[in-house]
Amino acid sequence: MELSFIVIDDTDLDHFIAKRVITNKHKTARVKSFMDATLALEHITEERDDASTKVVLIFLDIYMPIMNGFQFIDEFEKLHPDIQDKYYIVALTSSREVSDINRIKSHGSFKTWLTKPITADALSVLLNKVCTELNIQLPE
Amino acid sequence: MADKIKILYIDDEKDNLTGFKASFRLDYQVFTSINIPGAIEHLVNHPDIRVIFCDQRMPLRTGVEFFEEIRTTFPLPMRILLTGYTDIEAVIDSINRGNIFRFVKKPWDEAEIISAIEEANKFYLANSMLSIKNDELQKAYSELDKFAYSVSHDIRGPLSGVLGAINVAREMYDIAEMKEMLFLMEKSLKKLDTYILSMHDYYSLQRGELQISDIDFNSLIDEFKHIYTAFADTSNINFKISINQHESFRNDAAPLKLILNNLLSNAFKYQNKHNSVKEVELIIDVRKGVAIIQVKDTGIGILGNHIGEIFNLFYRASSQDAGSGFGLYNVKSALLKLNGQIEVNSILDKGTTFKVTLPTK
Repeated sequence: MELSFIVIDDTDLDHFIAKRVITNKHKTARVKSFMDATLALEHITEERDDASTKVVLIFLDIYMPIMNGFQFIDEFEKLHPDIQDKYYIVALTSSREVSDINRIKSHGSFKTWLTKPITADALSVLLNKVCTELNIQLPE
Repeated sequence: MADKIKILYIDDEKDNLTGFKASFRLDYQVFTSINIPGAIEHLVNHPDIRVIFCDQRMPLRTGVEFFEEIRTTFPLPMRILLTGYTDIEAVIDSINRGNIFRFVKKPWDEAEIISAIEEANKFYLANSMLSIKNDELQKAYSELDKFAYSVSHDIRGPLSGVLGAINVAREMYDIAEMKEMLFLMEKSLKKLDTYILSMHDYYSLQRGELQISDIDFNSLIDEFKHIYTAFADTSNINFKISINQHESFRNDAAPLKLILNNLLSNAFKYQNKHNSVKEVELIIDVRKGVAIIQVKDTGIGILGNHIGEIFNLFYRASSQDAGSGFGLYNVKSALLKLNGQIEVNSILDKGTTFKVTLPTK
């Protein structure tokens, strides 16, 4: 099964790192990048063509201008449940701010969170968790 | 007249009012009223009344009742009760309910009234200072909160990016890819550097004293013109400067440079990548002791609903990866210090014009 990824972050370097860490582990993985959360939201709302992928993993940065991670998740939670079911959202944060972590925990749509930077180890642990929770298997 | 302390006297006996006014109108601006509605009208029209004298025995309401009533609506003026007989109940009542500042016995003695006014005025001023300090403190606290939050993201953000990149580099063997990553790392670190420099600007604007000197805009601009001209050349941006100054202009050069630098760097930073003609224009006009500085760009513009917020600390209206959320806030603080004003006109995808108006010092 193919797992695809969306990275939403306002920093070029963080996109580069996320993409690199993901493709280091899964050479064929599809990674879409959005610098602007509003465009990512549009994409999710309109996109119908990745029917083949069962789940899209979203790495969502919390601290962004215009639409931050929390504003994104508020909008996301208004979408049709069928759309929401296709996405597994992981919050990405550069800080360990307690207020942020508590806010992340208060949203059911944030399945979990990672502190930046994304590392190969953290990604492995995360993917194992996702596979167990959703009962899917990834090709090695 | 404007410098005299404003006082208000309420009494149901007209003779008392007339006598009071005659005695004190030279030293104070005296308002009088024969009844409570008239007194309230004075308080509404003159929010800077500092001391209120009120007679205790009046037909509809007692002085204490009146003071109790206005305590919350007009909390600032000091309240002084005038009473003809010493009734201990009235004294206790007035202190507990009317929260009065002083008692003056009727018939009053001129010296006693003057000393009451002067004492009350001291308290009034101390209270006002306290409330100004309190507001400043509240503002500082809320900025500190914003700071703590921003620092944890804006400083740790670029650092975590660079750490992540170093991790990734361990398994990277392609030189071209490595160079691309180095470029992005540099960009992140530059952003961090700008953030820290702006933080220093922020601090010096909040604390420093003004240092006024003669400003020659031509030589002021010369100091940083070459940086922007070089940038304009490499990024294919047409940079025009026109300075029109035929009179002396006095101001503080440091905040002035900060304003110009921030507005110019924004104008260059937020250019529209897809525009074939890119332009930044700086126009300075000094006339009749007022400098008008305009910075115009053909950039991405600012969405209407963000314009009200762009001067707020840590507010960023663009996801174009560059802002620290300090720049325009610092511009506004600098203008506040120099008694200047700023206007923004912006059309999305067309460009933005900032217009600064500054008086000479």
